[in-house]
Amino acid sequence: MSATKASHAIGQSIPRLESRDKVTGRTEYVHHFVLPGMLHGKILRSDRPHARIRAIDTAAAAALPGVFRVVTIDDIRTVIPHPYYGPAFHDQPILADGKVRFAGEPVAVVLATDRHIAQQALELIDVDYEELPFVENEIEALHSDVRVHDTLKPAATFPDLKHLKGVRDTNVALQYRLDRGDTEAAFASADHVFEHSFKAQPVMHTPMEPFVAVADMRDDRLTLHTSTQSPSFVRIEIARLLGWPENRVRVKVPHLGGGFGGKLYIKLEALVTALSMLARLPVKISLTMEEQFFMVTRHGCTFRIKSGVDKDGRLVARRCDIVWNGGAYADIGPRVTQKAGFTSAGPYDIDNLTIRSSAVYTNRPPAGALRGFGAPQTAWAYERHTDIIARELGIDPLDFRRRNLLRQDRPQATGTPMTDAALLPVLDRVAQLLDWKTPLVRSEDHILRGRGLAVGLKGITAPTTSVAIINLYADGSCGLYISTVDMGQGSDTVMAQIVAEELGLDPASIRVINPDTDVTPYDMATLGSRSTFHMGNAVRRAAADVRDKTAALAAALGLPEGHNVPPSELLRKKYGMQAGNIVGVGSFIPDYQKPDPATGQSQKATPFWGIGACGAEVEVDSETGHVTVTKLVSVGDIGTPINPRLVTAQLSGAAIMQLGFTMTEKMDFSDGQLTNGSLADYKIPGLLDIPVSFINEYVENTQGTGPFGAKGAGETSSIALSPAIGNAVSDAIGAEVTETPLTPETVFRAMQSASRADRS
Amino acid sequence: MADFTIEYPGTLAEALSFLDPDDPSVRPVGGGTALMLMMKSQMFHPTRLVCLSRLSEPMTGCREDGDHIRIGAMTTLSQVEHSALIAAEFPVIHNAMKNLANVRVRNVATIGGNLAHGDPHLDLPPIWAALGAEAIIHGPSGQRSVKVEDLFQGYYETDVADGELITEIRVPRLPGWRATYRKVTTRALHDWPAIGLTLAARFDGDRIADIRLVLSAAVDIPQRLRGAEEVLRGHRPDAMLLARAGDSAAAEAPMEHDSRGSVDYKVHLLKVHILRGMNEIGKG
Amino acid sequence: MTTRHISFTLNGRAVTASVQPHENLIDMLTTAFGLRGARESCGQGLCGCCTVHVDGQAVSGCLFLADMAEGTRIDTIEGLGGADGTLDPVQQAFIDAGAFQCGFCTPGFVMMVKTLLADDPDPSDDTIRHYLSGNLCRCSAYPEIVAATKLAARRIAAEGRP
Repeated sequence: MSATKASHAIGQSIPRLESRDKVTGRTEYVHHFVLPGMLHGKILRSDRPHARIRAIDTAAAAALPGVFRVVTIDDIRTVIPHPYYGPAFHDQPILADGKVRFAGEPVAVVLATDRHIAQQALELIDVDYEELPFVENEIEALHSDVRVHDTLKPAATFPDLKHLKGVRDTNVALQYRLDRGDTEAAFASADHVFEHSFKAQPVMHTPMEPFVAVADMRDDRLTLHTSTQSPSFVRIEIARLLGWPENRVRVKVPHLGGGFGGKLYIKLEALVTALSMLARLPVKISLTMEEQFFMVTRHGCTFRIKSGVDKDGRLVARRCDIVWNGGAYADIGPRVTQKAGFTSAGPYDIDNLTIRSSAVYTNRPPAGALRGFGAPQTAWAYERHTDIIARELGIDPLDFRRRNLLRQDRPQATGTPMTDAALLPVLDRVAQLLDWKTPLVRSEDHILRGRGLAVGLKGITAPTTSVAIINLYADGSCGLYISTVDMGQGSDTVMAQIVAEELGLDPASIRVINPDTDVTPYDMATLGSRSTFHMGNAVRRAAADVRDKTAALAAALGLPEGHNVPPSELLRKKYGMQAGNIVGVGSFIPDYQKPDPATGQSQKATPFWGIGACGAEVEVDSETGHVTVTKLVSVGDIGTPINPRLVTAQLSGAAIMQLGFTMTEKMDFSDGQLTNGSLADYKIPGLLDIPVSFINEYVENTQGTGPFGAKGAGETSSIALSPAIGNAVSDAIGAEVTETPLTPETVFRAMQSASRADRS
Repeated sequence: MADFTIEYPGTLAEALSFLDPDDPSVRPVGGGTALMLMMKSQMFHPTRLVCLSRLSEPMTGCREDGDHIRIGAMTTLSQVEHSALIAAEFPVIHNAMKNLANVRVRNVATIGGNLAHGDPHLDLPPIWAALGAEAIIHGPSGQRSVKVEDLFQGYYETDVADGELITEIRVPRLPGWRATYRKVTTRALHDWPAIGLTLAARFDGDRIADIRLVLSAAVDIPQRLRGAEEVLRGHRPDAMLLARAGDSAAAEAPMEHDSRGSVDYKVHLLKVHILRGMNEIGKG
Repeated sequence: MTTRHISFTLNGRAVTASVQPHENLIDMLTTAFGLRGARESCGQGLCGCCTVHVDGQAVSGCLFLADMAEGTRIDTIEGLGGADGTLDPVQQAFIDAGAFQCGFCTPGFVMMVKTLLADDPDPSDDTIRHYLSGNLCRCSAYPEIVAATKLAARRIAAEGRP
């Protein structure tokens, strides 16, 4: 291989490879996928939050002209005898099995050639329910007599959950524990002790392409076309359900119309697989936007946090008690509980720590991963807590943070050192962009102004594996085979830039093959800011392997070192014509040390640290509580950018999404029923919601173990944004806000209770 | 989905002949946006839709008619938004358009359909009511007119019977009146209002000579706040008087709790916006 | 089911289609013509992913009965740009400004910017924000979309063509 590099691809803001397709409307999504003879499935959903199913009468629906078949769990058992799935617990039935555990749970499916007919037939299905008491609140669920599940059913794939198998009489799926030092003794000797409680609300991903999957079951093989972020997991889990080897299940994923953590693990795939087996025809299920709210949500939580501070304003002890509302099925909630748990004490240097983080079942739609794996909810609590402490001690919130921040290589709560973590630079840059030391013009007329900042961290799911294949074709052009899913973040482009840099090619000439488990190798999933780091490293190794094999080929052909013969010529020399391939393979799994089960301690708990700081200026209407965010600043540590524009777009996009979770978005429930499950009533940010001053930046840093110094960036600005705004609001109104979203009424009530407290 | 037919009458008489006084599943269609939403959510299953898109004047356009302005029911919201006549005569209507639904809906939805839908969250019906507009309704027994403030009979219920349709809105020119519509959203800027409040008043010096207040969104129908009007009429709107008007408004309009706010909070917002709205139009 | 044949102009060509009464424009464009640029997402006219032009005006295809397309002129994202594959200036500006991530909402935004610039060749930031406020992008490429709109406006003005 020629050592001369045709381009310097790293650090270039090249446009996305698929740009033309996206602006011309020709991008391939499963949304539009059709197969000959394909049936459409429509789902009948439970209208009860918790009930036993006495009987399901499907006769009238089945008799409707155009209906192919109506399917319940009894039918599904004939093809999948043990129809339960899930990444952490095998607790979720493919369709309700004798019981429904949340309002919105799938109970039956109508198959028809016309989806309108399937929809109409749903109204003809009669379900006889025996209602059961239900529990919605996570704190109540800890002690409630209502049991969402009779026993816990951990999946074998997570060895650390094995001890939970068969546990009865609890709604707690898992409790994560971390202990460091002697927290109670440190509280006893602290000069000041503060304790506060915070809440975060359930929200939803709302990708613009709603969940969709197509199963095409033939006699001995299955092909799934699905909008998933985790094709490799889907294949493994579906093969497990069917008792098949992996090579009879093929999962194909084109581009996704957004994912954000929602389209992970098994969503519609098990259901369409069973339906296609029963129908012996291809089956497609496309959810509506409204139905998406019943698929997966982000955890609401209650977080009680207690801190001890010494006379110098140093944090000496902290206790975190977090209860996560996991909904009716665990999904990946136990991992959220663990991963968010271990950073829930925040980015501070505290010797004495106790963390208890519990995943709790309730009769709500299941909660799973959403851009941050719980880190944003925990940062909402610990960074609001930080501001309240600073205010009560009369210390500037920035100075208080700087005094306590974890410095380079200091041990975090787990004992893992803060390597390559630019905590102080991101915080200082936010302060600079806010002009922190210059006083604000406080108020005029009925406007109250305030300013706030916050900083946070996130651990990365570990240990996980990525595998990449680069196939150099006979003319010297190449294809990159990876199972990373490009759902808008730009992974195809970034990976092509890495190949281009390593092999001296033009990034736009690299063909990235979309995930197809028959073709592309294993990747754990596209989640948790892991792809640039893990797959990026794997792709680099695959490119090195191509270079090694090319060199070996040249040596075998008797060429001297330092030759200048391109690979296409080497192949031509070997095969006598334009033929053959040079295939490079690379795989990557980061160093990892399993935390001690008793204390949570580990010297290598995360492959890298996600680091972000945010700042906000707000105007609050003193008469109504209405908040206008006038300035929003987000500064991330993303290592060294591979594509600066794409990485900035990730920072900006995550910031706006988190702005929605902070200001407007909330799944409202009444008597166990979701009351605002559509975009008419669940308000995601639009153009008018973007602050007039909106700044997204990254600081200079190098992730030593990352490809070209890069680290993941998809969640960086999600982490600390809510508390930055919350701190600004509290600064403006002189009262504490403790729960999101910061609706006008929430803020108005905080102002009212503060003025009542002043009067009394 | 049950089968239905769509008719495209060329004249008003033909349109009325397709409607059926005894069959609520036969409906006239303006732009169809609201009807499509109801059909998609399985709330309405039509047997026949009577599409009015081929009807011409007086069903279309805005024109002067002595001391009134007439707006054809099939005039789209966009056409009203961009009408120089409407902007000059009723700036409150023009100003409300920018934050009403979105460009695409405004391009299709019609003034008549917007009224006939009977949705209390909509922005225009309460404004028409406050302006003293009337709806011209045609049916099997001829033509009648109903004041917009009397058109609404309940949640999504109007005085327009099956077999009838709205053909025009007739709005009195109101020299000397000033009006404002306050769309108070609490979840996001772009949302259904938690409360809608229209204030229209004529001043005599610094006194309120006449006033109409209409509350919408938080109540089942756009509702005149006559008690509050009575408090204000003939007086100088100082802070004390406006506070009394607010108390009166709160007492006469029982509001509902929903995800946009509690009753207490909506009452509070109503009082705040009576004050702010009066300050706005009081300045002239 | 009643099926009706309708005639209209689609991206400049006279076409016919058979439609059922309940079908909306997106159903028809997808099934009868294989056009996939306008897509139904929220289904309520709120997100703009289904934006198409009817007689030169932007509409939500998901709320527009296909039957009502009779006699109209319908334009979709597929009709933009030159026959030789050159992109429309608005499409090119979206690429150059990086104004999309997943791309699902992109054709809708492009079609909205087309009518915006036809109405107002030099829109202010405030005009752009209000005009596009009824289009949702969950990836939140909003700042880049505003930049792309202004870039397209500048280029169109410089080239002196619509």
